[in-house]
Parts: sequence; structure tokens; C-alpha cells
Amino acid sequence: MRAVVFDGIVLGLQFGLLGVGLTLVYGLGGILNLAHGPMAVLGAIVVANSMDAGAPVLLAVALGLVSIGVFGLLLDSTLMRAVYRLTGERRVLLSLLLTLGVAFVIDGLLVWRYPINSLGIHIGGDPVSILGVRMRTGSLVASAISLAAGAVLVVFFRFSTAGRAVRSVIQDEVGARLCGINPTAVRTLIFGLSGVLAALVAVTRSMTSPITTTAGIDLTILALIVTVVGGLGSVAGAFLAGIILGIVNTVSSFYIGTYITTIMLLLAAALTIILRPSGILGRRG
Amino acid sequence: MTDRTPETEAAEMITAPARPRMSFARAFGPIVLTAAAVALVPLRYGDSGATMRVAVAGVLFATYAVAFNVIFGSTGQLFLCVGALAGVGGYMSGILSDRAGWPLLLSIALAGLLSSALGAGFSWLVVHRSLDVIFTGIVTLAFSLGFSNVVLGQRNWTGGENGLLIKTGSNSLLGDQIPPFYIMLGLLVLYLVIYRLLQLSHIGWAFRALRDDEVAAELAGVNVARYRIYAGTIGAAMLGVAGAVWAHSAGFIGISTYSFAGVDVRVIVMLAFGGIGTLLGPVLGAVTFTVLDEFLISFAQLRVVLYGVVIIVLFLGFQRGVIPAFQGLVERVRDARKRRSPA
Repeated sequence: MRAVVFDGIVLGLQFGLLGVGLTLVYGLGGILNLAHGPMAVLGAIVVANSMDAGAPVLLAVALGLVSIGVFGLLLDSTLMRAVYRLTGERRVLLSLLLTLGVAFVIDGLLVWRYPINSLGIHIGGDPVSILGVRMRTGSLVASAISLAAGAVLVVFFRFSTAGRAVRSVIQDEVGARLCGINPTAVRTLIFGLSGVLAALVAVTRSMTSPITTTAGIDLTILALIVTVVGGLGSVAGAFLAGIILGIVNTVSSFYIGTYITTIMLLLAAALTIILRPSGILGRRG
Repeated sequence: MTDRTPETEAAEMITAPARPRMSFARAFGPIVLTAAAVALVPLRYGDSGATMRVAVAGVLFATYAVAFNVIFGSTGQLFLCVGALAGVGGYMSGILSDRAGWPLLLSIALAGLLSSALGAGFSWLVVHRSLDVIFTGIVTLAFSLGFSNVVLGQRNWTGGENGLLIKTGSNSLLGDQIPPFYIMLGLLVLYLVIYRLLQLSHIGWAFRALRDDEVAAELAGVNVARYRIYAGTIGAAMLGVAGAVWAHSAGFIGISTYSFAGVDVRVIVMLAFGGIGTLLGPVLGAVTFTVLDEFLISFAQLRVVLYGVVIIVLFLGFQRGVIPAFQGLVERVRDARKRRSPA
């Protein structure tokens, strides 16, 4: 039982990191980026290909993070400009359709060019025993990276000027503008950051199980669920929700069966929406 | 126009006809013309069984899109369970008629009833928890994915991933090559007429009011909750019946027949392309993307990429949809002409 819960936490930290990238972009610009999962997979393929070309792991990872970050920046400063010009429901709808198109393009290209590629980063070393449970080193490293990334994000948003600027735009765009903050620049920056986070998820996830080219849509749906349960626009909420869902995932697949996990996660999301629409740590709408 | 005061404006609003007046020909002419144009398809492609099946599927998607238009276009409820609601109808009707031997038409009617009950339930939930677009989408998406899991799990009834053969329809007209096309087209015409009648009735008037400004509509005495539930119920019934008719005419349904990726995504793209909230937008979208799909098949693996590119380009170009863009153009031309020749 304890081992299952620990596995759930390892998985949950990755869920959290996945949700953060999506939730930030949604909180800022009202864009639900359906291409988030495919972007993560794109990152994984960049890392895998650089490693195949002989690059050391760290360099390959850095290359993956930067390239997807740049991809995010470009996406925001080109296609998403048309979305920001709209408001309300029409903005939501156009953002869904355009990012769906982007998701198709990325997915299609990856499946076409690299149908059988996958990223698996092997972390050597003996299993470490924690509270009597033997944990694989890969899981621990992945969790450490996720936690560190989460901590960096929290510190960034709490204490740095740029982070405060981001939060002010989330709270009140007009007010932020009056204080001399440029919401457009903030949004572009966060879209880039979201891309980096997507690639980072791909890297940490690949330490426990390989990421294949076709995983994109599943990752997007997972990110959506985490975002909803955690509350839109909340970093800590995304991590908390990620851990809860991770435990739900491993426990239900261990005791009931793997086929039930997706239903359980979706049920969790649906229940959260019905019982507490703002999410665990979300602001009241 | 110069002596309008707030008082006269208010008086006009009170006495103004609440329902749009439209001549019979203007109201139903477009439906007749569209149906006549679509009805010509078998003359050209009637000998090819494969092409006719694509055509029937195209008309099926037009019916889905009209139903989705009733739900989403009229009242802004983003139901991401179009495929699942149709699938509930399809499996229900298929199982009832094949396993239990119930009459075909009765099973289709029951399928529509079951789907509409589900749709009413979702609408009730949306209204009573005041869910916004995204949340409505996620709750109904959960139902969609849950539905496909149930279909996979209950293999005794649904055949699981092997699919379900349905024989009842093959002995009727639905088993032939060309009649299914006209039956499906008849269904589409029926749905379009229902859509138009809704538009012209007090229900359509309430739909427009709550789409424009929900709070204002509520203040003006429109029972927003009730009309939302009406839309969910009617649209879901349409989906259930269409899904059931398709099950019998195809003779085989599987997990991908009603999947989220295979139905919902396409229906949204079709409707958004043709024009949300327009009468003929769903038909135009369905025709366009059915033809496009056939065209892209020859690109095999690049098809998904091209599909994505087409979606991006189309929606950047026509953010409101083709039909509203066209109407805007016509109006601008008319205005320009009026200005050139002042009466």
C-alpha cells in the first residue's frame, strides 16, 4: 500500500508540472492550449534525437527545453495574436480551434517523421530505500526535478518583480496595465515558460517510463484534468491536485485495474467542477 | 430618426414584435434549395457503393452539426459528448432491435428518448451549477470518455473493440445502396425545419436574448435555465435518433463510430467553419469537410498535418464562419449600392 502511494506521489508530481504549464497560460490569456501535450512530446523527440546524435544528456535536455520554450514564444506572438483580439466566449472558442489545429500539425508531423521514436532517459544507481519502500533512482530524480521546478515557480511568482507582474495581470488586466505592466509581453513570456515546462515534464516522465510519439493528446487531457481540479491559474493548486490525482491513479489501477484509471481521473475532475467549481486552491470566480 | 427619445425607444421595444416576421418562402426556401442540391449527389455517384457510404456519412455529420448547433449555437452550452449521445442512441437501438427483436422504428424512438433524457440531465447540471463554457466542456468530455470505456468494458452487449454487427437494418430499405442516403437526407431536412421553427417560435426568441446578454435576458423575464434545458433536450434527442439511424444503415458500429476524436472534434470544426448559430452553416461545414477529407486521403500520413493547417488557416480567415462572413459581404454591397443611388 505504502509503495503504491509513493508511486502515486512520483506520478502526481509529474501531473502537477504538466498542469502548471497549462494553467498559467489559461489564467493569463484565457487560452486553453490543446497543443500542450503535443508540445511536450515534441520536446521529448528533440531530446531523444540530440542524444542519438551524441549529445550528453544535460545538453540534450537543455536543447529540448529551449527549443520548446522558443516554440511557445513564437506561437504566442503569431497565431495567438488573433485570439487575444477577441473577448469572452469567442476568444475561448477560437483558442480551442487554433490550438487544436496546432496539436494536429505537431502530432501529424511527429507520427509521420518519427513513428517509432521514443524518449527514455535511464538514470543508473541502486534503488534507495525510503520509509521501507525501495524507490528507483529515476523516480527520485524525476520527483526532485519536479519539486525544484515547482519551488522555483512559487518563489518566482511570490517574490520577483516579474512574477508579481504576472500575478497582477491574472488578477486584473486593466489594473495591471494602469500600473505600467505590458500584458502582451507578460503573456508571451508565460507562453514561452509554459513550453519550457511542457518539455521538462517530458524529460522527467521519461525517467520513469518512455514517452512515445502518440502520447500528445493523452497528456493534454491529463493536463486539463489537473488544471480543473487544482483551480485555474494556481501553481500550488496544480501541484496539490497533481499529487492527489497521481495517488488516485496508482491506487485505482493497483486495486481495480488499469482500464478504470482514466474514468477515475475524469470522475475526479467532473466532481470537482460540480462540487467546487473554482478548484482546490482556485480563486472564487 | 431625429426625434427619438428614450421614451419612444422604450415604447417601441415594448410594442415591437417579439418574433421575427419572415415569409414562408424566406423561412423554408433555403432548406428546400439545399435539400434539392444535396439530393442530386446520387445521380453522379450512385453506382459507387464506397462513395455513397461517404456521402451518407457526410449527411449524418450534417445532422450531428445541426443538433450541436441547437445546443451550442443557440444557448452556448459546449457539449463535448456529441458522439457519445449519438452512440447511446446507436447502441441502444442496435441492441434492442437485434437482441431483443423490438421493431426498428420503436427502437430508434427509444434511442432518441434515452439520449434526450441524458442531454436534459447535462443541461440541468450546467444550469444549476452555473458552469461556464470550459467547465461544461470538461464535464461532458468526461461523459464521452466514460462512454467509450463502458462500451469497451461491456463486451457482452456491445462487442467491445470488435464492434457490433447490426442485422435488422439490412433487411429494410436501410440496407440498400441509395435509399439510406435519402433517409438520412430526410432526417437532415426534418432537423433543419425543426431548427427554423425553433428560431421563429418564442423559444428562438429566448435563445437569441440569452445569447446576446444572459443577465439582461433574465432581468427581462426570460427563464434562462428552462430554455437551456429545452436546447439540451431537443439537441440530444436529434443526436440519439441520428446515431440510431446510422447504426442500422451502416450495419456495424464500433468504438470509433462515436468516439470523441472521430465525431466531436469534426462536428465542432464543421459548425465553426460554416457559422455557429446559422441555419445552413452546419450543412456547409459538413459538406466542405467531407469533401476535404476525401481529398486528403491521398496524402496518407500527412493527412493529419494538412488537416491541422487547414483548420488554422480557415479559422484565422473566417473567425465567425463562412455564412456570417458572406452575409456581412452581401450587406456591405447592398449598403454601398444604396449610398450610390439615394432614393
